[in-house]
Amino acid sequence: MTRPNSTDIDLFERGVLARLTGVDCGYGPTTILTGIDFEVRAGEVALVTGPAAAGKTTLTHLLRLALPPTAGRMAIMGVDVARASARARANIKRRIGYVAENPVFVEQWSALDNIAMPLKMAKRKPRDYDDDLRELVDFVGLSDAAHLTVAKLSGAERRVAAIARALASKPDLILADDPTAGMSPDEGRRIVRLLAEMRRVGAGVVIASQDESLGDCAPILRWRIECGRVLPVDHPAPEEAEALE
Amino acid sequence: MKNALTGVERALFWTLAFAAFAAAAAGLSARAVDRIAAGYEEARRNYAIIRVIAPEGPEGLSAAEAALADAPHVTSAAPMTAGRAAALLSQWGGASMDAAEIPPLRLIEIELAPAGEQIDVSGDIVAALAQGGVTAEVVEAPDHASGGGLAARVRVAAFWGALVFGGAMAVIVWLAARSLAARRRELVTVMTDLGATGGQAAGGIADEAAVLGLYAGLIGGALAGLAGLGVMLLAIPGANLDTLPAMILPIDLAPIIAAPLGAAVAAGAGARAAASYFHRQAARLG
Repeated sequence: MTRPNSTDIDLFERGVLARLTGVDCGYGPTTILTGIDFEVRAGEVALVTGPAAAGKTTLTHLLRLALPPTAGRMAIMGVDVARASARARANIKRRIGYVAENPVFVEQWSALDNIAMPLKMAKRKPRDYDDDLRELVDFVGLSDAAHLTVAKLSGAERRVAAIARALASKPDLILADDPTAGMSPDEGRRIVRLLAEMRRVGAGVVIASQDESLGDCAPILRWRIECGRVLPVDHPAPEEAEALE
Repeated sequence: MKNALTGVERALFWTLAFAAFAAAAAGLSARAVDRIAAGYEEARRNYAIIRVIAPEGPEGLSAAEAALADAPHVTSAAPMTAGRAAALLSQWGGASMDAAEIPPLRLIEIELAPAGEQIDVSGDIVAALAQGGVTAEVVEAPDHASGGGLAARVRVAAFWGALVFGGAMAVIVWLAARSLAARRRELVTVMTDLGATGGQAAGGIADEAAVLGLYAGLIGGALAGLAGLGVMLLAIPGANLDTLPAMILPIDLAPIIAAPLGAAVAAGAGARAAASYFHRQAARLG
């Protein structure tokens, strides 16, 4: 059994949800990101931008443990990922809410049933989460479509449903890969504000998008991917963040 | 009906039911062949012919009959008549025989009580006849070494044939159940994204397939049982619903009981294997 590293646990207790140090990753022999130094803290919202095919999706895959790092060190929720067992990785994944670029649903189920899936997987009883679920559906603005099968939802509604599903289990870390794709600018900004609201309950949020203007609609730490490297961009001071809010 | 099966699930259900029916029917057929072969072998082993050597003439036959009445192992004895001999020769020789053409016979047909392998039945009968003043030989059915093991070979062939056929049906069920997992692929993908382990993602689908296999196997097994009863009523002279229960041994029901269990296990295993594969694909991209 892998013994947890006390430094990683200490970092997690101080609010560092994910810390990547000198991490390389890619698909098979192809390296996409090199030497990544990246950090997400509880209550922080990070916007990762970059041109198409820069590696934004790869970064979210890395953070959600779908891709293993090929070099460097990655600690998520106080666990060194490279040394973690399959069970430990599964436990971490359950604490991550993930909004995919093209979210997959059980199409013949209702949006509400899909949103409730993380709760069903946690073996919670419907009577225990029904009220929370309705509140969540209202919060994301999906009340009118919640009982429709996912196959009948519009593209924007599917994305909102994916966000609701990612939030349902009250995750510590939320990863959203291009959550505003295919939406009007107003709708996209509403979605980002909605995700950014999760910082208030102590979650860390990472949003990957090509749209750099999204950084203006909430207090967000910006990162940019260029040439396979993730670089911090103008991280605002706390008072500036308050003003943005 | 709210929980009625639809589309792929319904087709899968009837595929599984048909496979279970075929496997159970093959098993029941093997049991029937086994019972017939065992009955044939028992009748063959419990039959022998006494050839009276001395004294000659009708006195010899009478003395032999008297001696056989008290001989060990013998349950009945009857001299072979010319008519009986003609009938046997016609049966085995092919050409029709006239009883008038048969010369006087010094043969006695006897039926024997079952005896252990170590007991010299022929020796005991010859000794009893000798005590009655009769010299005779016992002609028994040929043993295995003399080519008399056909029934045993038939029983073995029926057993293994049914087992192999049942295995083939299990493979069909296993493959068919993978279609259920394929239909649930998006569920596996979603569960994997939400942090489900392979066991969690595949377990639910395997359970669903196993339950489907269990119900399909129950229906297939029951249909095979009904078909078996029908065949028995038609094929066995004098059989009716009152006499059938006494004819059926508990072991004869094994294929009917095995059908739902086998279908459930094979369907569950097939769905689990496919769902685990989909989970592995969804879990790792690099």
